[in-house]
Amino acid sequence: MSMISMRNVSKWYGPQFQVLKDCSVEVEKGEVIVVCGPSGSGKSTLIKTVNALETIQNGEIVVDGVTVNASKTNLPKLRARVGMVFQHFELFPHLSIIQNLCLGQEKVLGRGHDEAVAKAEALLKRVGLSAHAQKFPGQLSGGQQQRVAIARALVMDPVCMLFDEPTSALDPEMITEVLDVMVELAREGMTMMVVTHEMGFARKVAHRVVFMDQGEIVEDALKEDFFGTPRSERARNFLSKILSH
Amino acid sequence: MAAGSRGVNYHWNWGILLEPSPDGQGTYLDMLLGGLRWTIVTALCAWVVALVFGSAIGVLRTLQSRTAQWVAGAYVELFRNIPLLVQLFLWFFVVPELLPREWGIWIKQLRYGAFYTAVVAIGLYMSSRVATQVSAGISALPKGQRMAGTAIGLTPAQTYRYILLPMAYRIVLPPLTSEFLNTIKNTSVALTIGLMELTGAARSMQEFSFQVFEAFTAATVIYLLLNAIVTFGMRALERRLAVPGFNAAR
Ligand SMILES: Nc1ncnc2c1ncn2[C@@H]1O[C@H](COP(=O)(O)OP(=O)(O)OP(=O)(O)O)[C@@H](O)[C@H]1O
Ligand SMILES: [Mg+2]
Repeated sequence: MSMISMRNVSKWYGPQFQVLKDCSVEVEKGEVIVVCGPSGSGKSTLIKTVNALETIQNGEIVVDGVTVNASKTNLPKLRARVGMVFQHFELFPHLSIIQNLCLGQEKVLGRGHDEAVAKAEALLKRVGLSAHAQKFPGQLSGGQQQRVAIARALVMDPVCMLFDEPTSALDPEMITEVLDVMVELAREGMTMMVVTHEMGFARKVAHRVVFMDQGEIVEDALKEDFFGTPRSERARNFLSKILSH
Repeated sequence: MAAGSRGVNYHWNWGILLEPSPDGQGTYLDMLLGGLRWTIVTALCAWVVALVFGSAIGVLRTLQSRTAQWVAGAYVELFRNIPLLVQLFLWFFVVPELLPREWGIWIKQLRYGAFYTAVVAIGLYMSSRVATQVSAGISALPKGQRMAGTAIGLTPAQTYRYILLPMAYRIVLPPLTSEFLNTIKNTSVALTIGLMELTGAARSMQEFSFQVFEAFTAATVIYLLLNAIVTFGMRALERRLAVPGFNAAR
């Protein structure tokens, strides 16, 4: 059984504009999927439907056996099991780093404060930021903030992780430190769905690459096939553009 | 107060403040300080009403639901656009008549009826202004903040409680300070329904003693001091709540 299963997912904004067109993706447990495609192709929308930050009008999404778009699904409970990392970090600015990592554990999972702090400290150590536990997000660099954001998702013990362009708001010298954390996570067997244009990351750890254009999944191929011989014209064009930079 | 003609011959007498007032409760100064006490209590209670209702309506304005937005919008327009004095009279003279007879009678016999009415009227009037500020504060936050809260599994109520409102209040603390000062100033309209707050006390001192300049100069100085204390306190609160490394003008 797949960890994430999206079958014939369609979504419209208003009556006219179809942002997702009959999209189907299967992500097995432990698999790393990279989603890429031109700006406005619907990558963010697709990934946000997985934890129901965006609703869908057609199709079915099942995460770890739970149907996301069923009316009786307890969405907060489901979301707590799906980690999400955003382009602009979205740490909570008025909370210290340690508080950022404890909020969900205490309010959603009902963990005690000491247990939450211990878990938070362990994850901070893992992303190499133990020294910054008492600081506030505004006092950290972008790369550090994004590593905290990854830790904030991991403290919830997620069954899978979603990344929406996690490095595209970062200065070039900070991209590596974030990618390193993600590579390590992938190697440990985390199921990951990653929207990114970092093809180096895709080459290193992705199992499959999904290419989107205009709301459609144009290509869903093994990494080797995608980089070796992309079947569609659109994927070839896209690849030649981003690889030439 | 034709100060031009009378002012020349006006007999200043600051000693009047320490003379006994005809209400038998002490000096004229005591009378003014008694008024100050009513001003403070009324302003504080009205401010609590304004904060509670204003925050609730401000949150409603930022929900997805069209109905919620419409209800909140109508509330704000209603309470903001009717003059405060008219609202005060409506609550004091009209509302008791519209209620069932026994309730109306009960209300009219309340010992501190003018005070309660002033708290409700000024509190609700100010709540429309607080609501506008609170919803502006929430809207000023990056859209991803709500998403990040939702994504870790917080319910909408928890997202407001732990993420959106704490930042929104910080952002709008300076305008909320001036709304609090407005609340204090607005308590003076309550003299029209017989509340002996500071302005009311100054006027009755003037009526008994004929020392109009002393009465209103003293009241003015007390208002200025009160506002200075509030402003000072709110600045201290702003500093205390400042978020390290967070630039509000982001
Ligand atoms: N709330 C909305 N209402 C209407 N249209 C929207 C809304 N959100 C996104 N869109 C449109 O849907 C399309 C897909 O948006 P999406 O953010 O998923 O693209 P993307 O592939 O993530 O692009 P980018 O690389 O720029 O992040 C875009 O054309 C966008 O303008
Ligand atoms: Mg996007």
